[in-house]
Amino acid sequence: MSGMGAVWQVAKREMKERGRSKAYLLTSLFTILIVVGIVVIPTFFEGGTSEYEVGSVGEGNAEIVDAAIQIGNAGDIEGEDPSVAMEVIEYDSRQEGEIALAEDEVDILLVDATEIVTDAAGAGGLGGNSLSNLLQRGAATLELERLVAEEGNAAAEVVELMTTDTLEVTSLDGEDPVDESQVFVAYAGLMLLYVAILLYGTWILTGVTEEKTNRVVEVLLSALRPWQLLGGKIVGIGMLGLTQLAITLLMAALAINFTGVLDLPEIPIANLAGIILWFVLGFLLYAVLFAAAGSLVSRMEDAQTAAMPMTMLAVAGMFVSIAALENPEGIVARIGTFFPLTAPMVVPVRTALNGIAAWEYILAVVITVASIGLMLWVAGRVYAGGLLQFGGKVKVKDAWQSASR
Amino acid sequence: MLGFLGPNGAGKTTTMRTVFGLLTPDSGDVLWDGRVPTAEDRSNFGYMPEERGLYPKMKAHDQLTYLGRLHGMTSNEAGESADRWLAILGLADRRMDPIEALSHGNQQRVQLAASLVHDPELLVLDEPFAGLDPIAVITMSDVLREQAASGKAVVFSSHQLDLVEDLCEDVAIVNDGAIVVEGRVKHLKDAAPIRHLELEIDGNADELLAQLEGVRSTEFDGTRHTVIIDADTEIRGFLGRAQDAGRVRHFTYTTPSLTDLFKEAVA
Repeated sequence: MSGMGAVWQVAKREMKERGRSKAYLLTSLFTILIVVGIVVIPTFFEGGTSEYEVGSVGEGNAEIVDAAIQIGNAGDIEGEDPSVAMEVIEYDSRQEGEIALAEDEVDILLVDATEIVTDAAGAGGLGGNSLSNLLQRGAATLELERLVAEEGNAAAEVVELMTTDTLEVTSLDGEDPVDESQVFVAYAGLMLLYVAILLYGTWILTGVTEEKTNRVVEVLLSALRPWQLLGGKIVGIGMLGLTQLAITLLMAALAINFTGVLDLPEIPIANLAGIILWFVLGFLLYAVLFAAAGSLVSRMEDAQTAAMPMTMLAVAGMFVSIAALENPEGIVARIGTFFPLTAPMVVPVRTALNGIAAWEYILAVVITVASIGLMLWVAGRVYAGGLLQFGGKVKVKDAWQSASR
Repeated sequence: MLGFLGPNGAGKTTTMRTVFGLLTPDSGDVLWDGRVPTAEDRSNFGYMPEERGLYPKMKAHDQLTYLGRLHGMTSNEAGESADRWLAILGLADRRMDPIEALSHGNQQRVQLAASLVHDPELLVLDEPFAGLDPIAVITMSDVLREQAASGKAVVFSSHQLDLVEDLCEDVAIVNDGAIVVEGRVKHLKDAAPIRHLELEIDGNADELLAQLEGVRSTEFDGTRHTVIIDADTEIRGFLGRAQDAGRVRHFTYTTPSLTDLFKEAVA
């Protein structure tokens, strides 16, 4: 059977048998439930209306409160309870108002539409939707409306200026300026790669020991070359892992969209293709390393120890890519581009920052692909060499020397 | 059909693994049709390793189909061949059972089917009869005979020498990593420097027999003496002297059994 055909047969068996095992289905279900839960559950506690009492002394306060309510409820879905409700309580003098504030009868005190008085602890919660913040923004809106009414077009320009970027952005090398959303996507891809390596690398490692444990390996290797068996296992188990990851992400994205807890950035398609390419290359490379580690152990108990070096390599790769983010054209970033273990983590980040030349990009792809092939061959040789020494851990050197092909 | 014999540790399994490229020989070559087999040649070989192993949770039919596919069969061919072999080996009703649900003997049958599913030109079986009940031994023997009769090369190792004698035209005996005896079973027997004698004599003649000229070994099981003598011993004279010990009631003189040859070869 042709080289890749055999790899595909092994991968297919892996997906079919492993994919319908209880272990796979249950871990997938739990992963999805946990991730969706993380998105959805907090919204249960956020629901309902924040009610405030606003003390008022003097004129013009009610308009500010109205504007603040509008701003606070701007993102609400129609038909549901409003996020913010405010009740205005009038006081005849500032002194009365301050007493009411001190005794917690009101949450905040507005004076003559020009001043906010809060108690020492701050008013009505923290963050962008805090009561004082809402009132500030309400007052600012009123002021703007007043200006527009009085000054006409000039004020409209002010509004325009405040809502758009005023300065044009260019970079020294004359290329397009850095797009923040691209950097975000590159980093998200990096995080996912990291998660995939740590989660599914171990699957591959223990998966590779399977044929040795059930001793079917001699029959298989009478029909297959070791690299075909390993390649097929990597592809098969990898696909199962990445399917689980993809479904989890999809469900999380749906949950985010449905609950509206976050605004997801628009992802440019061309950029996404590059991210996916490097994700796949990076995953394959580390998967082959995990498979090589699996070749050296014949028992599940030794698998965790064997996974350690790979995990540390992945962590080291992350540090290099952080260095590359800070200085995309620095020496660390340049070396990391051509070193296969770090390239999948460095190149996407440099690309997003426009800090990589085309030849560097292409060379990095070539080096990484070649490394995957080379490592697979090495892993196959070590696998065959260590194979007939059942039990215990096999030394790399011994396995290499006793390897048959 | 070649019986591949030798004491434990002689190198039978090692030799078989070398055939499939699982090990590299320190010296020498594996030859098939006069040349070192390619990966393609090897996909025409069938192997039943000493270390039995199948995927425990995979169904018998799926497992065999998978192995057929790996050997280059199409999905249909592999599926049909899997079912055919399961039927021949009496497992038609267990085809959708996972391997782990089958008894040890039935797992062994599936293992045999695994080596046969792709209709190999060469069948190499490492101790195929080990641990089989008498019925399964007959099934296994029949399958091997049919394979050999249809022109396939069959090589198997076994410690059950009477079975080997029954099945094989050729034998090779290895000891300490080298072939010490090989050839047609019939020729080896005729050409052997020894003969096999069985005697029943009134009284115990063991001591007397052991002293006679040309005797290599004697054994007494309570009623019958088994004597290995040099082939050129003059048998009339021998019989005459044996009668000194008592009346001879039974006497057979034959070429040596495979067991005798084996003992001679590895002694």
